[in-house]
Amino acid sequence: MRYLLSRLLTTALIVAGAMLLLFALTVLVPGDPAAALLGPQASPEYAARFVAEMGLDQPVHIRLWRFFTHVLTGDLGTDVVSGRKVSAAIGAVLPYTVVLTATSIGLAVLLGVPLGCLAATRPGSLTDNVLAGVSVALIAIPSFVIAILLLLVFSVWLDWLPVLGTGRGDDLADQARRLILPTIALSVGWVGYIARLVRTAMLEVLAEPYIRTARAYGLPRGTIVLKYALKNACIPPLAVLGLGIGRLLGGAVLVELVFSRPGLGRLVLDAINVRNYPVLQGAVLVVVLLFAGANLAVDLLYGAIDPRLRRRA
Amino acid sequence: MPTTRRRLLAGTAALAALPPGAAYAQAKAAISVRIDRDVEVLDPAFRSGLQDGNIVRAITQRLVTVAPGGNGDLVKDAAAELTQTSPTTIDFTLKPGQMFSDGFGEMTADDVKFSYERFIHPDASGKESPYKGEWAGLKEVQVVDRLRGRIVMERPRAGLFTIALGDVAGSILCRRAVEQRGVEHNTRPVGSGPLMVTAFEKQRQVVMRRNPVYAGERSGFEEVAVRYVPDPKTAELGLRSGDLDFASLPPSQAEALRTAAGLKVIQQPGIANIWMGMNVEKPPFNDPRVRRAIRLALDVDQMLLAGFNGRAPRANALVMPQVVGHWPDAPVVKRNVAEAKRLLAEAGHAAGFKARILVQNQPVYQTMALVAQALLRDVGIMLDVDAQDAGSFFSAGKGDTGKALDLFIIRFNGKLDPNFLAQWFTTGQVGTWNWQRWSSPEFDRLLDEGSAELDDAKRAALFIQAQKLMEASDAFVWLTYDVGIFIHRDWLRPALLPSGIDWAMDRFAPA
Repeated sequence: MRYLLSRLLTTALIVAGAMLLLFALTVLVPGDPAAALLGPQASPEYAARFVAEMGLDQPVHIRLWRFFTHVLTGDLGTDVVSGRKVSAAIGAVLPYTVVLTATSIGLAVLLGVPLGCLAATRPGSLTDNVLAGVSVALIAIPSFVIAILLLLVFSVWLDWLPVLGTGRGDDLADQARRLILPTIALSVGWVGYIARLVRTAMLEVLAEPYIRTARAYGLPRGTIVLKYALKNACIPPLAVLGLGIGRLLGGAVLVELVFSRPGLGRLVLDAINVRNYPVLQGAVLVVVLLFAGANLAVDLLYGAIDPRLRRRA
Repeated sequence: MPTTRRRLLAGTAALAALPPGAAYAQAKAAISVRIDRDVEVLDPAFRSGLQDGNIVRAITQRLVTVAPGGNGDLVKDAAAELTQTSPTTIDFTLKPGQMFSDGFGEMTADDVKFSYERFIHPDASGKESPYKGEWAGLKEVQVVDRLRGRIVMERPRAGLFTIALGDVAGSILCRRAVEQRGVEHNTRPVGSGPLMVTAFEKQRQVVMRRNPVYAGERSGFEEVAVRYVPDPKTAELGLRSGDLDFASLPPSQAEALRTAAGLKVIQQPGIANIWMGMNVEKPPFNDPRVRRAIRLALDVDQMLLAGFNGRAPRANALVMPQVVGHWPDAPVVKRNVAEAKRLLAEAGHAAGFKARILVQNQPVYQTMALVAQALLRDVGIMLDVDAQDAGSFFSAGKGDTGKALDLFIIRFNGKLDPNFLAQWFTTGQVGTWNWQRWSSPEFDRLLDEGSAELDDAKRAALFIQAQKLMEASDAFVWLTYDVGIFIHRDWLRPALLPSGIDWAMDRFAPA
């Protein structure tokens, strides 16, 4: 319980700090939203009114107070361009980001963990060396480069998968087909990263006395690796996975752009381009919450796997 | 030939000559069109940009509309009759039986009044249309009876037909639908045009289908999906793979598709203004000799070759050939390094100086700025290229911040009206959009006179005179009117309006 409370408190502080930083950035960043959003035809009077509608004509402390109080009451404001609620705009794209991030993490774990185990159980072998080379290569190539290559090969040359979008809302199979390439593009780097982390952690665990004891008892190799070693070897990669979700959310922007998929990343990017502050603040806040939530979940899972952490807290 | 309101009737005949929709071979029922900015507000008075306007154009009717493919001929659309009864009054009679979608009934003269007057009066919440200027001078629309009305202007306005009546600002909405749906109307609009919006998916697409109650010529396709694809490389791949059927791409991207099977590349001169401006208030650019030297040191053709792969035609003045007031004899400034150096020396800058050029962070502008940097180095001017994102860039010339500008490359979209093109350079725009901070009372007077001059020949003379004043200031290095490069399937015939950036998607048809 104490462990849970301390994690919750830390998460709340992280979110509050991120909100403060987000607010500061929107204050400091140059650019006139009226000019960017309304273009040359808007009269100076309307431009001034527009800025007032966004509350940007108010002193900084009042803006800060409003920002925090509105967020705490669940009000992310109104998109001054479309007149729609910011929460509705975020709600419309959030599922795409969550699904893409989840499938990418899932695929990365699904491939990275076995590859890491395989390399760790054959240290110094050809398999280990090949996997090391491939892993480093996968980590080094940016996801948007992989995305364009995947599109060229599987969509243009082979014509197996579509290039754009997310598919029709009523056709799950179409949506799944259009998720394949973005998921691969986003997860490829993480496959290599997780494989390397698992390998390193696994090598350490396999050298532990309790593993030697298990071997001495004549337990099968598979049982030792999967039942006794893997659980402890997963702790370091799990911690990195929490941070990785944040990185994936960031990396998703480029993948969303290349595959022309809706998502939080693109929403943020479009909002930055035109200085649409209500949308920008709302969308970044949701990204922060997702990130903090994922890290909280990882922390709790970490505690569940390793009782020492619970006791320390 | 420039567009004029007097060519309205000629255009009517041109539209009648188009093949009827029913006769098209329906090879494909649905097409996919790429846009590079997301759709935001499907309301003519509060649209967020061209992409919104192109959809509004397809789902609504106007009293008159621009025929595609030509050079701006206007044809009757919702109006059965349209007569200019005096320089400030236009009488109209609507065709009977023009129905709004979603069961909102027949279009009436009151809908016309509502649609036009909402540009000049703030709405109930006090919100003012950012496109108020498109209906500048409108006094009121009088409703005579159910189908007849009168547009009353405060003073004659030459650009009324091209800027307001025949373009997006002239789109007729259903008063009841707008009032009933409120904000929702922005994404679920009601119109009486050939297409109707059936899906509005943020960051993805807007899907339009044939409007079953539209009484006029059927649209070429049953469904038009307007898809938001921001990345041009993805758009190129989408065209190659068949996910997209029509797209406008930057010249460098389009080059690769010229030989692609099943695709056609077409090119159309634009009506945008892209130029390099100089802040005439800031030393050393406040010296006309320095400005002249810069013009002489530059090579516009080289800059265009780098920025547009040589596809964009060179501009030598503000008004393009398609528009009244084009100045065909505008001087073509040739590079002359020796003369540029002489002028700089005369102005006390024989050793040159440092300056900053502001551009938007897009390859086309950055590349042209880099060429300018190399060319100006030859006369001792060391240029720093400052590339900024749109949000920062478009506020850089405003207020006191604008006083610090040296040089900049900027683009403004145009319309087929010289007043529209020239309005940004008046004294009143200094500190707003006149980033050159160039002020000429004579120029302002000519524009005022030109806006009310209904005789095309006289109006053209006024604008040529105005452009001569701009030329004499040496504050402008005209680069190009832009070029539109469009890629489409060979079985598709797109319908582009004269600007190139405006499309009539309802008239896209099988080839």
